[in-house]
Amino acid sequence: MVSKKKKKYSSGEGAQFMTRKAALKKLQLSLKDFRRICILKGIYPREPRNRKRAQKGAGGIKTLYHTKDIKFLLHEPIIWKLRELKVYQQKIRRARAMREYKQMKKYLRDHPQINIDHIVKERYPTFVDALRDLDDCLTLCFLFSTFPSLKKVPRDQSMLCRRLTVEFMHAVIAAKALRKVFVSIKGYYYQVELEGQTITWIVPHHFSFQPQSKDEVDFKIMSTFVDFYTMMLGFVNFKLYHSLNLVYPPKLTAAFSADTDKDLIDEHVYVAERIAAMNMSLSKVAGANEAEDLPEIDIFNTEDEDPQKLEEAKLEAEKVKKLKTMFKGLKFFINREVPREPLVFIIRCFGGEVSWDRDHFVGATFDESDESIAYHIVDRPSMDKQYLSRYYVQPQWVFDSVNARTLLPINQYLMGAVLPPHLSPFVDKTKDQVYIPPEERALNDPDFKPLDGNESGTDIEEASDEDKDDEEEEDSEEDGDAEAALAKQYQQEVEEDSTSDEDDSVDPEKKKLAKEKKKAMAVTAGVPHKEHPYQKEIEDKQAFRLREKLVRKKHRNLYKSMKAGQEKRKKEIWLLRKKRRLHDEKVKEEKKVEKRKQKVQALEASA
Amino acid sequence: MSVVKKKKRVSKKNKKAWGKYSDIRDVEEFLEDQRLEERLGKFETKPDSELFVVDTAGDNEPEKKEDGEETKPLSRKLQKRAKLKEVPKCFEVLLPTSKVQDPNAKRNKVNPIGSKPTALSKLTHQRQAKKGVLEKKLVEAKKNRKMAIDKKRKAKQVRQNFSLDLWGGDLPEVKGIPSTLVDEFISPEAQLHNVLPTQRLRPKPPLAKTVVTRAAVETPHPGVSYNPSYKEHQELLQQVGAHEEKMMKKEAHLMRVTTGMFRRVTQQEKENQWREEMSAGLPQPHNPAEDPDSDTDNEYKAINPPVKNKKKDHKARRKQKEQLAEKERLKRQKIDKKKITDLYKLRQLKSTIKTREQKQSEERSKRAEKRAAAEATALPTLSAHKTPIKEPDFVDPKQLSGDLRNIKSTTNLLRDRFESLQRRGALAASKIMMKKKRKLKSYFKPGHKVTEKDIEKYVTKSAGKKRS
Repeated sequence: MVSKKKKKYSSGEGAQFMTRKAALKKLQLSLKDFRRICILKGIYPREPRNRKRAQKGAGGIKTLYHTKDIKFLLHEPIIWKLRELKVYQQKIRRARAMREYKQMKKYLRDHPQINIDHIVKERYPTFVDALRDLDDCLTLCFLFSTFPSLKKVPRDQSMLCRRLTVEFMHAVIAAKALRKVFVSIKGYYYQVELEGQTITWIVPHHFSFQPQSKDEVDFKIMSTFVDFYTMMLGFVNFKLYHSLNLVYPPKLTAAFSADTDKDLIDEHVYVAERIAAMNMSLSKVAGANEAEDLPEIDIFNTEDEDPQKLEEAKLEAEKVKKLKTMFKGLKFFINREVPREPLVFIIRCFGGEVSWDRDHFVGATFDESDESIAYHIVDRPSMDKQYLSRYYVQPQWVFDSVNARTLLPINQYLMGAVLPPHLSPFVDKTKDQVYIPPEERALNDPDFKPLDGNESGTDIEEASDEDKDDEEEEDSEEDGDAEAALAKQYQQEVEEDSTSDEDDSVDPEKKKLAKEKKKAMAVTAGVPHKEHPYQKEIEDKQAFRLREKLVRKKHRNLYKSMKAGQEKRKKEIWLLRKKRRLHDEKVKEEKKVEKRKQKVQALEASA
Repeated sequence: MSVVKKKKRVSKKNKKAWGKYSDIRDVEEFLEDQRLEERLGKFETKPDSELFVVDTAGDNEPEKKEDGEETKPLSRKLQKRAKLKEVPKCFEVLLPTSKVQDPNAKRNKVNPIGSKPTALSKLTHQRQAKKGVLEKKLVEAKKNRKMAIDKKRKAKQVRQNFSLDLWGGDLPEVKGIPSTLVDEFISPEAQLHNVLPTQRLRPKPPLAKTVVTRAAVETPHPGVSYNPSYKEHQELLQQVGAHEEKMMKKEAHLMRVTTGMFRRVTQQEKENQWREEMSAGLPQPHNPAEDPDSDTDNEYKAINPPVKNKKKDHKARRKQKEQLAEKERLKRQKIDKKKITDLYKLRQLKSTIKTREQKQSEERSKRAEKRAAAEATALPTLSAHKTPIKEPDFVDPKQLSGDLRNIKSTTNLLRDRFESLQRRGALAASKIMMKKKRKLKSYFKPGHKVTEKDIEKYVTKSAGKKRS
């Protein structure tokens, strides 16, 4: 008996895929509902290996789905809800058509909502999974929180986004999890580290709303994404708050009491506004331990024991620990023109206290006249009234300090100063074999001291070379900023000290005699066995060469080319450094000559 | 046919067998009588008046009476009224016909569900409430009502409250209890009893590679800083420039391949061409000056003269054969010679083959590498529309103010997100179809048309009226 002929595309790639239309038919959903459920469930169209076969011989490009994906969707209980919703919509439509507005209003009021929390759980079985996928969620939520009510977006969605994002920021503040900030023209990039996961997101700049053109983005789709993401962010917030021993939904601490204007406003709104101000810490769960610091890194004997790596990790941990309390005990005041929210978020993340003008935004805690303010953040060239007790800095100082992980010297960031470039903290640091100009190195690494410093530095050096008093006075007048003046004073004092030391030794001849006498009296000590200082290095080098010989023939060429590349890059760096050094020396020399000339001219003029 | 003989002895082992072979009709009749009596009442106990009627009239009396009644028929209305009292025929079946007494002598009367409380029942309820009877019931009812409302409200606010530890261990789903059974009315034993053997029938298939591996938020180029360093900004500009150049080149290519393919023709030339094409094959007017054959004499000449089958003679055939053989011989000789020389050339051949193979393998690996690199960054084709390419964020150097106050952004973050989703393969690229506004064609209803003539007519009419 002849076996039945196999139908084409009943197995293999042809059976694996399904067009969107077939999927709609199988699930008995409208396209709108199908799109929605796909987004909620995280089912995406697939790209086949062989399109012709996957489309069962049909030409063109069709949107394909895995048959397995669609079968998976078939089990979703929400599908039934969607079908019920369709009936409900029909009821509403009917009521409207029949002009039964009372009934219609009732339907609209009792419009059923679909509960999707089980989908969140299903898509992210563990909390870490959810955190790993938070980038997109946060970016979209922060973006939607700036939107007014739009036609295709549910009315309460932007409000909900706003609430959830503020809650998340509070969690980050409490966890001190912020690591990097980058201000781009697109918006603020933030990077936080939660439970060992790095999460990066973008917050748009605070502009007034820019109308979106209709034909660029499908708002309905984005709104559905946001629908899911708000759900996810809500549960993530809940979990984060609980792990941080905070009360969820957030409440302000009991210490906070507002007697002054409580009677004016609805209490709920009042509290919500204070929370949105992000200025005060949230109340903790009763009985929770205070200040639970992470213990130091335990050292495990792993297989690939690399002491250098371990050391690096330790250093990193130390740096992060320092970063977390960078602004602790410092008081900041934010001027009106500075974007409030990002700065408050950043400063509070590192333990600082912030306030702003009372009329600017609710929730200001202290006034501008407070003498304990350490930094006043200003983004304007000058101010009429200035306090001596604080530094007036530009906002970039905060961002750069966070990225540098220490408080940077403020002299480059003072009010009205031309700012140094704001560098990205996201650059790959593994590419270390490139020439970095000393200015950039100083920005990246605060411990690095440039050989020739900046202009004011050179001035100081010159001043020390030539007669000090007059020059320094001039300089201080020129600069006029407190910091530089202080630095100079310190330098001067140090130099004076050193000169006074020299002055003490009045009689050099006597001293010489004493020395000679001492020498004659001294007992010659036995010479201890002195190790050759470079002996170890030489041995190491030899061992290294031997090891190099052991490189397999297969990899020898690669190794050679790698080494050659390293040498080449090293040489390039060396060359550029030399060039820079020569250039700097030349400039310095020229400056000196210029100054001398000026002096001579001044002398001639006075004479 | 064989006559079945009646069996003499039959088994009466069980009840069924008893019934089959013994005559129990009299018993059954008796029992039936008894049941009937029970239903209709005992015959003996009934008074005679029920059983008998004394015939006082003669044979023709009743007819008379009937006649008398016929003379006074009831009106329709009265008939209807009389029928109102009767039990409707359709409900007669529902009435008890049996005379059997109700076994419960003091049955409570129960009002059917949905009937309104009577004034009396209201009074009794009040009295009972005052006394404290049914108090517990009332409290419970209140509680239940509140619970129901709360549940409804909770279901409505589901997207507002996140008061549940989704990843905690105390969730019923963790234990595998189906969500339909998670209710306060269902006991935990019943819930646990219904735990499915496996949590899920069909596991979720893994996501596409592009969705998983591609970052949602790409690390920005350092040149897009609001206050970039000169070098980085220049790098970015270079990138943007290169991108733009590439696009321009592509466009130029497209232009060359499509529009540029066709040469331009003036209107006059086009007209001429058209004339020429349209008149192809038509008899041209005779022009003796143009005629090329005018100089020859008028001899007939065919366009394709007939071919003559000229046979080769023997000699020619032999020569041809010999030539072919010679050619073949030389070819063979050459090949033989080459075989010998190749033996000496073996080493060279080997080396050439080796180098060629090496080169090929190198090229192959290079190609594979290139393909892999292209695949890693390739945009997914999920629909007939093209996925938009990522364009570098361009910052016009003129717009870079270097301070936070005067930032100007040109990028649309929402669009960026949307396209990022498309590039990751989470969305199929699409073009939004805008709904076209229906153009309404306006026209006059024929009867409402006002022509010049109508106006004139109206004017003259009104003028005539005024005059009169």
